Amino acid sequence: MSKDFNEIVRHIVDMGGVVEESKASEVYVRVPRDRLKDFARYLYESGAYLKTCVGVDERQLNDLFAVYYIFGLDELGKDIVLRALAPEDDAWVESIASEVPAADWCELEFRDLVGIEPKNRLVKRLVLPDDWPDGVYPLRKEFKHDTRPPRTFKEEIAEEVGIPVGPYHPALHEPEYFELFVEGEKVVDVAYRGFHVHRGIEKLAESPRFTYKQVPFLAERICGICGFVHSTCYVMAVEKAAGIEVPERAEFIRSIVLEVERLHSHLLWLGVAAHLLGYDAGFMHAWRIRERVMVLAEHLTGSRKTYGINLIGGVRKDIEVDKIDKTMKTVASIKEEFGKLVEAMLSVPQIKSRASKTGVLSRSEARALSVVGPVARASGLYRDIRKDYPYLAYRRVSFKVPLYTEGDNLARLLVRVDEVFESLEIIKQLVDSLPGGGISVEEYEIPAGRKAVAAIEAPRGEDVHFIITGVGRPYRWRVRAPTYQNIPALRAMLRGAPLADAPLTIASIDPCFSCTDRVVVYDVGSGKRSSMRIIGGVQAVGS
Amino acid sequence: MEVSRLSVARILQIALKAGRVTRRYPREPPLLTPEFRGAIRVDPTKCWGCGACVNVCPPNALTLTSKDKTATLEYFVGRCIFCGMCAEVCPANAITITKEFELSSTSIEDLKSRVVHRLVRCSSCGEVIGTEAELRAVIKSSPISEEYMVLCSKCRKLKFGKAAMLGRGGSGD
Repeated sequence: MSKDFNEIVRHIVDMGGVVEESKASEVYVRVPRDRLKDFARYLYESGAYLKTCVGVDERQLNDLFAVYYIFGLDELGKDIVLRALAPEDDAWVESIASEVPAADWCELEFRDLVGIEPKNRLVKRLVLPDDWPDGVYPLRKEFKHDTRPPRTFKEEIAEEVGIPVGPYHPALHEPEYFELFVEGEKVVDVAYRGFHVHRGIEKLAESPRFTYKQVPFLAERICGICGFVHSTCYVMAVEKAAGIEVPERAEFIRSIVLEVERLHSHLLWLGVAAHLLGYDAGFMHAWRIRERVMVLAEHLTGSRKTYGINLIGGVRKDIEVDKIDKTMKTVASIKEEFGKLVEAMLSVPQIKSRASKTGVLSRSEARALSVVGPVARASGLYRDIRKDYPYLAYRRVSFKVPLYTEGDNLARLLVRVDEVFESLEIIKQLVDSLPGGGISVEEYEIPAGRKAVAAIEAPRGEDVHFIITGVGRPYRWRVRAPTYQNIPALRAMLRGAPLADAPLTIASIDPCFSCTDRVVVYDVGSGKRSSMRIIGGVQAVGS
Repeated sequence: MEVSRLSVARILQIALKAGRVTRRYPREPPLLTPEFRGAIRVDPTKCWGCGACVNVCPPNALTLTSKDKTATLEYFVGRCIFCGMCAEVCPANAITITKEFELSSTSIEDLKSRVVHRLVRCSSCGEVIGTEAELRAVIKSSPISEEYMVLCSKCRKLKFGKAAMLGRGGSGD
């Protein structure tokens, strides 16, 4: 399984790949577009996960379209980026989705947004709305960021909408749409329609409206829960591309705030999971404890959420001595209170019985879909970006990566419980060993045409940002939020399971909980449709 | 059901220990840490109207618009993300970050505040040079003669070039 990195690169070169750029953490290899599948298969069999794929309009640079497939070799902590080129008048690349199922969505995404056709696979619209005109590709450079193309109406859309209170319910934000097909009580299939809240953030960041320095604040608004992850990942990508050295103290502060964010996110999730299981006392107390994390975050950064302290080259806010005391005290008391709450929660027999053996995701399915974060770790995949690709200050701390093999809802719950304790320990260690020095570098240059991949372990899993630098602003910036990778796994979890478990299972991948969503239930036998309210929804995919 | 009783006892114990944690807001003041960033306030007596804050503002909450004789700096709190970058870059220290967060209103005008500056035009060609306040600040930091002060950079160069050619020095002494 585990091979030497150089050996893998050499094999790729033997297969016909051309190494374009070689960095300490990633290698860019140009490959023929009609043989992508062979390379993908080889990498996948060598143990690589697909992080994401990115379509780029590079006509201003070399008159071609490019597709980047980013593979992460977790065991070696390095990335291999395959780059395939296609001319404008014949824009296609070979699809790898049959070999690497995890590529399913991102291929459809570059088909929608850049207009590069993935060949030899089933295609359908994924990101663009149904009323978007054909042949208009928003991520092509000639498309201005504030263009509103005329809407085109198609007959079949009107026929499909059976119940008007669909995903566009006025009271709900961040909608997503699951259609569950049932036979009686059993779910037989699941269809998903998302991207209702695609905000064109990537396009906006490359428009003249934004500059390198302003994008961290935009990135922070990709997600309402793990926003700091996104702004950190963006600045890390830019710093990596431009070769900017960040002061050690800034790295520590970023790591501390990232862990504070994980605490609040997991406590939030645990509360909502308890609520879904009808255990509102657990919900209230999880959120009561979480409130202390929110206050701590405000004390450290100036804001309860969307902290706004990330800059390219460092951070804006220092952690002074009095804040260290306060952090230590909060961490100690949360640890005690959270321990007691978990004990109480897990002693409720209904919680255990409803979460056990429901929503099972097997290890092989998890691997095929390259799922990330607690979902992967609950299905026996040892994946944690903090360990595999140590970034910021994580190489300075010791912590355990919780691993469960059952793959059910309880396993995912327990992974998060364990991670709360680990995060508390990490914060303690980081605060204890906070180095001196400055917190940001003022002088730096960002040359155009550089590329970098940055990844961070968000509360929901691996968050990936890919950047090609431009003049004054990114030339191309691609964000792959963790939920993007995990939603396709829901199909495997829900199929064949009782309908009553569906809300908890959908929730168990921890899509964003700030919203309420709807599931449409089809009864396959009678053809009747009804809708079911669930708590849940995905924010992070709408980047 | 023994186990169930145990779990009830446990959660009761937690609840009794925690007590009441919510506040009687708005009758009681809300909990704000000293670091909290709320709406900003622009001090019209200090502002130069230079536009540094406008350039850095990520959501365009600050805008600067000029109309023949005036330039207006407008702060629209409805767009503000409370990042405080403007206060950091302000060369005149005219922007303070307040702890105000109760900002809702039924009128959009309540969400806007403005600082109006008078524009100065070049006495030679009529181009806009800057705001009065900006020029005052420039004079304060580096003495420069009135004569050059009211010229735009283009005309100033011309005048300086002429003066230098005549060998008469350029700083207007």
